[in-house]
Amino acid sequence: MSLKSLDPRINRLNLPDGEQPPMEPKAAFDQFETYEVFAQKRDNTPFTYAGPVHAPNADVAFLFAKEQYSRRSACSGLWVVQTRHIMVSPYANDDECIYDTFKVEIPEHTAWPLESYEVFHLKKRGKAHTHIGRVGATSYQEAYHKAKQAFAAQHPAVNMWVVKSKNVLQSAEEDRDMWLTLPEKKYREPAAYKVLDRIKSFKEKQQKALNK
Amino acid sequence: MKEEAIKDLLYKIADDQLILGHRNSEWTGLGPILEEDIAFSSMAQDKIGHSLAFYTLLHELGEAEPDLLAFSRSATQFHNSQFTELPNGEFDYSLIRHFLYDNAEAIRFEKLSHSGYEPIAKVATKLKGEIKYHVLHANTWIRNLGSSTEEAISRLQNSLNSLMPYALGMFELSVYEQVLIDTGIYAGEEAIKEEWLTRIQQVLASTELTMPDIPSQTPMLGGRYGTHTKHLQPLLNEMAEVIKIDPTAEW
Amino acid sequence: MYGGGNTFEAIKAEGLEEEDARKMAEFEGRIAQGEKIEPDDWMPRLYRQQLIRMIEQHAHSEIIGALPEGTWITRAPGFRRKLALMAKVQDEVGHAQLLYSAAETLGKSREEMLTDLINGKSKYSNVFNYPTYTWADSCIISWLIDAGAIVNQMANSKGSYGPYCRALERICAEEAFHLKYGHDSVVYMATGSSIQRQMVQEALNRWWSQIMTFFGPSDKLSVHTETLMRWKVKMASNDECRQQYLDMYVPKILELGLTIPDPLLKKNEDTGQWEYTEPDWDEFRRVINGDGPCNAERLGVRRMAEERGAWVRLALKNPTAKYVRPLA
Ligand SMILES: [Fe+2]
Ligand SMILES: [Fe+2]
Ligand SMILES: [Fe+2]
Repeated sequence: MSLKSLDPRINRLNLPDGEQPPMEPKAAFDQFETYEVFAQKRDNTPFTYAGPVHAPNADVAFLFAKEQYSRRSACSGLWVVQTRHIMVSPYANDDECIYDTFKVEIPEHTAWPLESYEVFHLKKRGKAHTHIGRVGATSYQEAYHKAKQAFAAQHPAVNMWVVKSKNVLQSAEEDRDMWLTLPEKKYREPAAYKVLDRIKSFKEKQQKALNK
Repeated sequence: MKEEAIKDLLYKIADDQLILGHRNSEWTGLGPILEEDIAFSSMAQDKIGHSLAFYTLLHELGEAEPDLLAFSRSATQFHNSQFTELPNGEFDYSLIRHFLYDNAEAIRFEKLSHSGYEPIAKVATKLKGEIKYHVLHANTWIRNLGSSTEEAISRLQNSLNSLMPYALGMFELSVYEQVLIDTGIYAGEEAIKEEWLTRIQQVLASTELTMPDIPSQTPMLGGRYGTHTKHLQPLLNEMAEVIKIDPTAEW
Repeated sequence: MYGGGNTFEAIKAEGLEEEDARKMAEFEGRIAQGEKIEPDDWMPRLYRQQLIRMIEQHAHSEIIGALPEGTWITRAPGFRRKLALMAKVQDEVGHAQLLYSAAETLGKSREEMLTDLINGKSKYSNVFNYPTYTWADSCIISWLIDAGAIVNQMANSKGSYGPYCRALERICAEEAFHLKYGHDSVVYMATGSSIQRQMVQEALNRWWSQIMTFFGPSDKLSVHTETLMRWKVKMASNDECRQQYLDMYVPKILELGLTIPDPLLKKNEDTGQWEYTEPDWDEFRRVINGDGPCNAERLGVRRMAEERGAWVRLALKNPTAKYVRPLA
């Protein structure tokens, strides 16, 4: 016997009917690692944190990120970073700056060559991290200090993330056309639904019928 | 003659997109991974959107409204390949169909973006970016799964083997084939098929999957001119179930 | 979609007195100042537990809520409705993804949450244990259940937990489309042919009691509720949400010439409060505990999706990968 449903899709799946034994608990780690996604709404605006996806590798993470985080509003680019590649500072209070309250040892030897690191700031608790710039450093610690010198004065932040640029999967310039038709998908925008006139003429019709 | 040829072309593209978009939309909420559920739904929406764009071109050539074209014809009046109407099966089956179909679709649209019939060229050019994502999605999945576990590989291989004759049915020749080619409206199915085989082969070569032997396949033809499997009419009945409650009403 | 998340189980608040008093004062001070809590901050155990439960149930409601509407995707009448419904249901799946992620930042993995859902250990909005008999049912859900969800979600988006607020900001923006789409589809039917009017009236009759239970029973006033309100976990009482909802939507329903199947429903002008027939809370409890028309199907479908998807996840899993919770 398979489960009978009002849903024709479900009937096609031939699900077992009746009481089922409980599902075996899934392995503690059944799915995938997480990747953090940053989206750029339009040119010359900073990449902003959008949220995570679960994915087995960066390529698939990009496929997932593109639809989960850039299907609804304008987008000109996407960055994807594996969560464990992001170094996170503690959080400061909203009226403080993390660079004032949190101290990191300056590494003694700075070796060459410098590597590039991307720096993200959280302006206020509850908001989203945005990309603030890039520094060259030989370690996360050094990157933190370089970020402090470069950005702290002008851009106070309650939290900062730093990640090696080479660990950021960036959408390519020539892939921008993937977002080209977004603005045309009007059917998922509230503005596409206008019923005031319809309601008005319906009420008038009703009123007329009453008056008769 | 030329207009009939153009309509014939538009119908087969629009019907393919509608029927496969409809099938793929059945996955919404049932996918194997939340994120993939979302991605698959987007691509199904794109396909339904593409079909609407092509039905609109047909309407501009004097055919009925898109809603009527999609929701009120019977199976024998549909021009989609049988490939697109087959039930979804499990994820491997839907994924292989997506891979085979969207690679063909990409080539079809690349060619159409140079079509001598301006309205088609415009639509095809505009949709290029969407289809680029579809192909990236399909090929990435096949590359990943196609060289993973034994189970995944054998599932994909079985689906590939059973779908290939249907996939070849996508390239059924139009009765206007030569007119379309001669007038520069369309590159023709043979040209698209050749290119498609090369691209499919390229992706499969990077996996542990084997390309089925093409010359020994019998393509499942007939869909372009109304011969369908037993699955299409029930699909259409389901699609029109609500609209038929009151066909003259606005829903 | 989501509703009455705080009402399903009695809240246990043991061990509050064991929390570090200095840290607790700092935590409560931050919330009192209107600052958000972020994942790495110290937080009381009760706060963490309660948020996990609430966000998790919210996520389950989104993914299960995709089913009674998803069934109408293949039958939606016309391109406009078909495309919109596809996008709407897709959004709900997307909301589940966002919310599971927010709950993950508190330390419960997505797979644990999904297992708890499938094994019935974790609840979701009870309204989705009822079927959608006709297209009109799906329209009523899109409009009036989503409207309820919005009342809830708007309140919660002013809560204290950063990741939940970020997810809700995005969710509320998308819900604006759901509400408009739902309203539009109901308006077309209610102002349409007599067959359509009858369909939509019948659907409203079927769904009204679900709508009335959506926000959950009246909260029992307790110290714990008071604590959760102070911590901005629970943002409004169930009755407040219900009253606000009735204020906003009863006139919009009535202007379409529809009738609401509750003869006692009226606004008491003296108290400013809506009076109504108390919904059948015994049925509510029975259904939420498993004995509803669609409970088995909903969980069966989720289970099928997990089980039939297992080979995909297994095939792609990197054996050396270690789980790290998402950052924010
Ligand atoms: Fe496609
Ligand atoms: Fe939602
Ligand atoms: Fe919604």
